Amino acid sequence: MGHFSTVGGVKPLFAILSGLLLLGVTSAKEYTIAVIPKGTTHEFWKSIHAGAVKAEQELAAKGIVVKLFWKGPLREDDREQQIQVVENFTTRRVSGIVLAPLDSHALVNPVRSAVRAKIPVVVMDSDLKSDQYVSFVATDNFLGGQIAGEQLAKLLDGHGNVILLRYAVGSASTEAREAGFLDSLKKHPGIVLISADQYAGPTRETAYQASQNLLNRYGNQVNGIFCPAEPPTIAMAKALRDIGKAGGKVKMVGFDAGSQSVNDLKNGDVQALVVQNPVYMGYKAVLSLIEHLEGRKVEKRIDTGVKLVTQDNMEQTDIHELLHPPLRRYLKE
Amino acid sequence: MTFRRLLSTAGPVLGLLLVLGLIALYPEVRLVFFTGGNCKTILVQTAIVAVGALGMTLIIVSGGIDLSVGSMVALGSVVAARCLNAGWSTAGTVAATMILGGCVGCLNGGIIAGFRMLPFIVTLGTMGVLRGSAKWISGKQTVPNPENATLGRLLDPINPDQLMPLPPGVWASLGLAVLIAVLMRRTVFGRYLFAVGSNESAARLSGVRVAWVKLGVYTVAGLLFGFASLLQNARLSLGDPTAASGLELDIIAAVVIGGASLNGGTGSVSGSLLGALTMAVLRSGTQQIGWETYVQEIIIGLVIVFAVGLDKWRQSRGT
Repeated sequence: MGHFSTVGGVKPLFAILSGLLLLGVTSAKEYTIAVIPKGTTHEFWKSIHAGAVKAEQELAAKGIVVKLFWKGPLREDDREQQIQVVENFTTRRVSGIVLAPLDSHALVNPVRSAVRAKIPVVVMDSDLKSDQYVSFVATDNFLGGQIAGEQLAKLLDGHGNVILLRYAVGSASTEAREAGFLDSLKKHPGIVLISADQYAGPTRETAYQASQNLLNRYGNQVNGIFCPAEPPTIAMAKALRDIGKAGGKVKMVGFDAGSQSVNDLKNGDVQALVVQNPVYMGYKAVLSLIEHLEGRKVEKRIDTGVKLVTQDNMEQTDIHELLHPPLRRYLKE
Repeated sequence: MTFRRLLSTAGPVLGLLLVLGLIALYPEVRLVFFTGGNCKTILVQTAIVAVGALGMTLIIVSGGIDLSVGSMVALGSVVAARCLNAGWSTAGTVAATMILGGCVGCLNGGIIAGFRMLPFIVTLGTMGVLRGSAKWISGKQTVPNPENATLGRLLDPINPDQLMPLPPGVWASLGLAVLIAVLMRRTVFGRYLFAVGSNESAARLSGVRVAWVKLGVYTVAGLLFGFASLLQNARLSLGDPTAASGLELDIIAAVVIGGASLNGGTGSVSGSLLGALTMAVLRSGTQQIGWETYVQEIIIGLVIVFAVGLDKWRQSRGT
């Protein structure tokens, strides 16, 4: 293409062409960032998206142009599809990738390929069994599980039969919450775990079926339940209502703040929610990636915090914003 | 007549070119899409569906169908992971998984041919049996491969910037494609296959042992599905009992886009491979353009209906 530059009139065209060539490879203050969630249907991921857009807007105000691609698999257990998304963004030559890996093993190879292609990766929400990422931006999920366990023990006055409905196999974030929950129960010998080996699966439908099956079996014995993610929390509350055990007859502690769970908390069907800060997580992950790309040093582990929410504190301003994230402000929907 | 013939051979190529043309409309995507590295990525992403489509082509040409592929791939990936964890060599694992696939195919074919049952119903049943078995053998969870298992390198892109070297899994898939093409076009078995698919009673009256042909078709296809499950394992570097749900539909779509008729008697290896490639290109291209996942699902759906409509039109003019 070099000979074009000798012809005066074609110079601007050449400039545009070479500009296009550079786009997405490197340029001083313009980045294309792919943000890859575990799925796109849950409100949790919409909050992450809102946080990423918030970062994009703030950076734009500082003169750093960021173009976000938001793309995830439709179902949260479709490992193959998430691998393809990472690969396609790798060949698309984005400047960096923010990834919430839906399996701690299966996404290791695609991340390695991206890093080999000199595309930095920030991992968020769920851990990856690799050390090649720039930073891991997430809730301290073990702590979140411990908080849930303590709260459930308090609600039951230290005595009762408890069910843990697990989320899905291979999902590091929820496994850490489950481990934290079980760890905290060790301090309460009066609490008996009657079921801890059932999985809710990735959708509300699978979670609802699992909840119904568990309640059919243990409905008359159970006093307290912990669900470590949004779909099982919503599904379990619904299943409890079905059999007339909601409203505090069976104490229930859930995780995350989907609008349905917040309603359940207000109505007293759920006694407590352990709530993460997904808007901040999405925001911080994009910011950290940009800082790394700008050549600054980034912490390898960034904790985005958890809060225990009950009926008593749900109207406080800071908690209210956690429960009702300002999605409209950032997402055109 | 000649135009129709041209259309039936060139149809899948035209489809692929159309999709490539669509992607080329976007200048910033064009610059990265038509590079060696991206071609390699797409080939790697196609491999599982392509190998499945080889087996499915045999089955569909013989007038059958197999809905149990996705479950078989999940079961095979779990069994392979279990073998590796038990300390088996890579060769042993590959052999065991492919033989397992062959046995499952043989079972499908045996029931279909032996009891003269509809393939749709039989494989709908085995779909559940195999999916359940995969969850059972895996203990309801994913089974990670041992660290640094050589099997994982089957689809490792090595250098993501260039087309070469292609991962061994892609070469193996191409080799299998040539093998199956020769089987279909240059052997007696291949002639019988088309005869059974075109008109089963006529084939029987001409002395073709229809039951044995069917048994053979499902067994060979099963071996291929076994290999596809090894690729799935390599891709995820684990055995996943929930993997590949709905894969059978992708595979059937690839074969149909490639010009095969579900009535049997027509279909080709090259067409099916192009069909698989078209879907992978579409998926990768729409993502790089930045379209939503649902857009690509709608487009692939439309392509399938269009391909079948084209097939119908060809046939109605032919008689």
